[in-house]
Amino acid sequence: MAKLKLALYWASSCGGCEIAQLQIGDKILKLAEVADIVFWPVAIDAKYKDVEAMPEKSIDVCLFNGAIRTSEQEHMAKMLREKSKVLIAYGACAYGGGIPGLGNMFNRELIFERAYLETPSTDNKEKVLPQTKCKVPEGELTLPEFYDTVKTLGQTVDIDYVIPGCPPEARTTWLALEALIEGKLPPKGTVITHNAKAVCDDCPKKRDVKKVKKFYRTFEIMPDPEICLLEQGLLCAGIATRGGCEAPCPQANMPCTGCYGPVDGVIDQGAHFLSAVASVIDSNDPDEIQRIIDGIYDPVGTFYRYSLPDSLLRRAKIK
Amino acid sequence: MKEARRIPLLKKMLGQLGIEEERVRLDWVSASEADRFASIVDEMTEQIRELGPFSHNS
Repeated sequence: MAKLKLALYWASSCGGCEIAQLQIGDKILKLAEVADIVFWPVAIDAKYKDVEAMPEKSIDVCLFNGAIRTSEQEHMAKMLREKSKVLIAYGACAYGGGIPGLGNMFNRELIFERAYLETPSTDNKEKVLPQTKCKVPEGELTLPEFYDTVKTLGQTVDIDYVIPGCPPEARTTWLALEALIEGKLPPKGTVITHNAKAVCDDCPKKRDVKKVKKFYRTFEIMPDPEICLLEQGLLCAGIATRGGCEAPCPQANMPCTGCYGPVDGVIDQGAHFLSAVASVIDSNDPDEIQRIIDGIYDPVGTFYRYSLPDSLLRRAKIK
Repeated sequence: MKEARRIPLLKKMLGQLGIEEERVRLDWVSASEADRFASIVDEMTEQIRELGPFSHNS
């Protein structure tokens, strides 16, 4: 059998997905037996022009991590779609927008002002901001366009599968790779995990009565390790998040932040999480309800930590 | 009663997203208050019409 041709690419992401891909450990040798890596900027020296020269659908599988924030990332997403038989959104950023997706609370102008002018460590007296074109004595320099709105990979091109997570757990990555190697692919559009139910299904903590009088931030309390974190007033997203990760965060007494995306059948993960949180509030008195809600800092960043671009609203409205 | 908890939290979040508060309203109407129901729907419709279609600026 001819070896599979595999490509890996990163767009708007942190690099953690590349490390996650290596976390499959010695299984990488099994992968090397059956697949040749034809493009992987972090590890091998292939250039964009090499990908451009590849015939259509000549790559068997492309694992694409990162959200789409710039014109370069959009261009690469379209090119890799054209060259790949199977395109997989790898990780939370490609899937839901991820942490870079929280940039949708702002726009380009606000982000540039903050990053290049306002930050205390910035010394930029000439107020230089990134330009797509710039004339220098040697000629014209160009930079990709920075978009106002971060998009997911699936909002940019047609995708075949999702491997969720920030970053995906090794077991999830291998579940997908094994299916690819054995040619036992699930139906198109599947989010590949061991458990399509919520993280709570993976979590061993005891659930009793969900009644909360006050929400806490993680540094404010030492939770009881045996009991459900949400019941203790920590904003644990497990209830609104796809499982399969084996709940490593709650088991380390840190609330789930929602990186595996919504459970099956849910379109908007943040709305689901918000609804679940509101329903555990133990009060019928409007003033007390308001007081309890006042204790929830940054609802958007909590409920849509990894999925703001993929939400029904997609971004904030800038006045 | 869950709705009485959901709506304030939803409103807080929508405010953070820059969405006008007037686009969401929670009211309680009994099945016997037909006139009140109709007037609330009229008010809400008029309010939304004044705001115009929802759009993001960027």
